[in-house]
Amino acid sequence: MKPFLMEIIWLVLKGIMALTFVAVSAMFLIWFERKVSARVQNRMGPMITGFHGALQSVADTVKLLLKENIVPTGADFVVWWLAPFFVAVPAIMVFVCMPFGPNAIVCDLNVGILFMCSVTSVSVLGIFMAGWGSSNKYSLLGGMRSAAQIISYEVPLLLSVLVVVMQAGTLSMQGIVHAQETGWFFLKPNLLLAFIIYIIAATAEVNRVPFDIPEAESELVAGYHTEYSGMKFAMFFVAEYTNFFIIAAIASTLFLGGWLGPVAPSPVWFLLKAYGIIFILMWVRWTLPRLRMDQMMSFAWKALTPLALLNVLVTGWLLVIKG
Amino acid sequence: MTELVFYIIAVSLCAFAFLSVTVGDVFHSAVCLTFTLLSVAGVYFFLGAPFIGVIQILVYVGGIMTLFIFAIKLTAKIGDASIRQFTRQLWPGAALAGAILALLLAVIRANAWSLRLLPPVQGPDLKQLGVELLTRYLLPFEFISLLLLAALVGAIVIGKVKK
Repeated sequence: MKPFLMEIIWLVLKGIMALTFVAVSAMFLIWFERKVSARVQNRMGPMITGFHGALQSVADTVKLLLKENIVPTGADFVVWWLAPFFVAVPAIMVFVCMPFGPNAIVCDLNVGILFMCSVTSVSVLGIFMAGWGSSNKYSLLGGMRSAAQIISYEVPLLLSVLVVVMQAGTLSMQGIVHAQETGWFFLKPNLLLAFIIYIIAATAEVNRVPFDIPEAESELVAGYHTEYSGMKFAMFFVAEYTNFFIIAAIASTLFLGGWLGPVAPSPVWFLLKAYGIIFILMWVRWTLPRLRMDQMMSFAWKALTPLALLNVLVTGWLLVIKG
Repeated sequence: MTELVFYIIAVSLCAFAFLSVTVGDVFHSAVCLTFTLLSVAGVYFFLGAPFIGVIQILVYVGGIMTLFIFAIKLTAKIGDASIRQFTRQLWPGAALAGAILALLLAVIRANAWSLRLLPPVQGPDLKQLGVELLTRYLLPFEFISLLLLAALVGAIVIGKVKK
């Protein structure tokens, strides 16, 4: 076969693999979240469809596929129509640099972690477009809140990533994993602080409780995706859970040694660590109440950002002292 | 294959750049500008400069476009009908753009461009880039950071509530 054709087939195959992983992972996470929330609230959760409701997400997906796609009358159609893509496509693109194992990575860019951060920063535009295009005051308020929140928490997030980059001396995801062969990063005190800052800021980035004010259901119906139905809504939903997986996967790569681990194959370790972080964040979500907008903003700017800056300074000093 | 990718990027870059100055609605214009900036990042990736491409997305799309949209929203009443943009200076602008095009064409025509494929140049890696910035280009680098600091302080002073 011609090499040109081979190249295209190989690219398409990689794309299908990434998309399949995204869809299956999101479906699993939705079921898992429902089960965890049920346990926290002393309920059973979905039990009817499949073993302990394991096929519930499949049934929900079929339902969403069959639903009518309703366009609101006053909507700004083009913006409204484009918004879900702006949220979903970056979430899928991040998987280009996701290290599942020593060789299981689509492309180990030498600016890997920066690539991931920059691509995820595009989705804030999609959220804003959804809020604006829907011509609905709840959507618009949700979009505004979300944009304010994401750009505020981006600062401590990137600063805590910077600490890891300083320690590892590389931006490549595989390089960061290899730098942890002598000891996982979260065991060092300054990196443990960076880990905690990263987790808090990342929770805010994906709009989860206690930072879920963009879609606070008691005040804003459903926030920026109020006016979406059928597959358009499903795209937001899948993107939300994919972003959730992404922050956990990045955290496990940057701080918990990524795919490093004894005995078991490396992708198993990678997924185990990522889903472990996801479980803890779900636990937090179903335990804590929601913050107020002003509390959240002042926490980002007056507590997290100075702390993250200080951490960069301390790490710099530690690296200089050690030579 | 690579040529096809280049033409897709080039066409989208030109089309969205044109749209962003011609559509009426300011918000639509901002969306078109986003696509333009993403296409520019695509050009950087295509030319084998992923670092510049990534920074382009992070700064322009993630930061500046978000601020643009905030500014658009905050200058009008929230949920208000869209602000229209207009092209009052169409002819002077067109004349200026034409002059730049003519200059570029003259420079391009004046040089003999070799069209054979050259071996890919190994671009400076990130480490070299950092070292260069902090040695040879230290003065401009520090000057830019001073400028940014001044802008930061200025923004706080302007934004502060008057007593």
